[in-house]
Amino acid sequence: MLTVILQQGINGIVVGSLYVLVALGLTLIYGVLVQINFAHADIVTLGAFVAYFVTHLLSGNYLAGIAVALIVGGALGWLLNAAIFAPLRDRGNELLPLIATIGVSIMLQNAMLVTLGPIPYAFDTPYSNHVIRFGGIFFTVQNLLIIVVSTITIGLLYAFMKFTFIGKALRAVSQDRETAGLMGINPNHVIMLTFIIASALAGMSGAMLGPVLVLTPFAGTSVIVKAFAIVIIGGFGNVEGTIIAGLIVGLIESYTTQFLDPGLIDIVVFALLLLTLAVRPTGLIAERREENV
Amino acid sequence: MSSPATAGSPVSATASTILSSRRFWLVAAAIAIGVLPMIFSDSYWRTNLIVCAVNVLLAIGLDFVLGYAGQLNLGQSAFSGIGAYASTLLITRLGVPFWIAFACGVLLAGLAGMVLSIFAVRLRGHYLAIASLGFAVITYQVLLNWISLTQGPLGIYGIAPPPPLAIPGLPTIAFSNLPNLFYLTGGFALLTYILLDQLVRSPIGETLTAIREDEVSAASLGVNCQKWKVFAFAVSSAVAGAGGCFYASFVGTLVPDAFFVTESFSILAMVIVGGMGTLIGPVLGAILLTVLPELLRGVGDLRLIVYGASVTLVVLFMPGGIVQAVRLITAHLRRRFAGMPADIKP
Repeated sequence: MLTVILQQGINGIVVGSLYVLVALGLTLIYGVLVQINFAHADIVTLGAFVAYFVTHLLSGNYLAGIAVALIVGGALGWLLNAAIFAPLRDRGNELLPLIATIGVSIMLQNAMLVTLGPIPYAFDTPYSNHVIRFGGIFFTVQNLLIIVVSTITIGLLYAFMKFTFIGKALRAVSQDRETAGLMGINPNHVIMLTFIIASALAGMSGAMLGPVLVLTPFAGTSVIVKAFAIVIIGGFGNVEGTIIAGLIVGLIESYTTQFLDPGLIDIVVFALLLLTLAVRPTGLIAERREENV
Repeated sequence: MSSPATAGSPVSATASTILSSRRFWLVAAAIAIGVLPMIFSDSYWRTNLIVCAVNVLLAIGLDFVLGYAGQLNLGQSAFSGIGAYASTLLITRLGVPFWIAFACGVLLAGLAGMVLSIFAVRLRGHYLAIASLGFAVITYQVLLNWISLTQGPLGIYGIAPPPPLAIPGLPTIAFSNLPNLFYLTGGFALLTYILLDQLVRSPIGETLTAIREDEVSAASLGVNCQKWKVFAFAVSSAVAGAGGCFYASFVGTLVPDAFFVTESFSILAMVIVGGMGTLIGPVLGAILLTVLPELLRGVGDLRLIVYGASVTLVVLFMPGGIVQAVRLITAHLRRRFAGMPADIKP
């Protein structure tokens, strides 16, 4: 029994750390722009497919697949900001960018459906079949890779935000765009950079989620709904809260699958979302963001 | 005073009064609903007419909360699913009469919307949109997995159309044929349109618009923003529930896939393409986006790509949709013909 709990705990942390990467992108963009990029889901899907094809083309070089997915994601993020968020920024309607990216998402999903078809792709990485045994607990090298890569990425992101000038500029723009502008920070550059980082994270996590998910053109949607829940549970724009909430959702997912029913995952996560909205609407770690209340 | 110039103006004035009068357009719409099934005699297009009417219902419901209260409801698919399943199960399992089941379905959908929005409206911004999207995903999962109630992916078959309507002194109206079913759904859509139109023209509509434009200012004037946002959200959910009830009784089959999240996006596309913030816009958008794909059958999978592209392009370049485009064109024409002799004052 204990091994089952531990085993599922590891599985939950593996998936949860990928959800954290996806949700961090959403929360970073929300931080600087107070906007939601709905097409974030499709960057995840696209990252998974890019990694799939690159891995196959390079006869099994999965790490190169992850790298290319990261670059493709970042490029798409730049494009989304330039084509949609920048032109709509001064329109005054906070829902328009969200609606426009829903349109982009429908477009991308169906374009992928036309080109790639609805049948799930079997994405086996060279690391999926290397199993490490540790007592009664199994984990694959793939799982280890996911945990290592996502921990390093989250650590780097944290250090970047805390210690570099650009990271500080990013946080300054999140707090007050106009004042940051007066201090000589160009908010447009910071916003563009945020989109590139956030979308690169999405592309990379897609590359690592690919082998876990049912890889179809709609794979990202199931991830993004959980990422939205994580962002709300953790508190919009709150990095620490997002990390904790992401791991919690990952654990909920694996324990619900083990002890209840896989069909109930979304329902349990959503119940937690509603509970958060009812009890702690600013998220697990309350931040001083009066404008949201 | 030159006579031809002045003689022209009262006539054109009357014509433009008639054209801008609400009653004229409502009568025209009623006549159109009456005539349409006679023009389209094959059952394929008659079925599409009913689909149009249901979509119009869903679109004006969404526009009420999106275009007037400025809140995005991405749960339309779920609320229409709740209406459809609740009314159908009440009829088939408990033998409840159709119209009572219909009322229950509408009420339940509205109630679900109300409860959901009570949680989410405490925070500004996108919380309601995300919470309603999550709700749409969950409702789909529940419909799929609660097999003892909904029969899951197998679906419910053989749902009867609404029972015949017997008004004393008139022949009984049976709803087993398509034209009468279209009169019922089209008539209900028109009725809902009139009701919502009255609502948005009333002080309530002005309150909602004030909240949409500037919530803080509205609150400072003593408007209870949360209460009104919940109200608008509940109304839009209830209208979606009504659409779902009609959908079930005319298709005769219920499967969870009919209420997948993408349905919410299709309805959003109708509202955006037509023009949000006006009620006539979503009607036009719903008709266009229902009929156009039928005409472009051969395009197949490209249909949804066109939906997505049109949403993005409209938001970027013509945020008022068809309505804005028509207004721009008429304003242009008016300027162009402003120099015509009939309008020159002596």
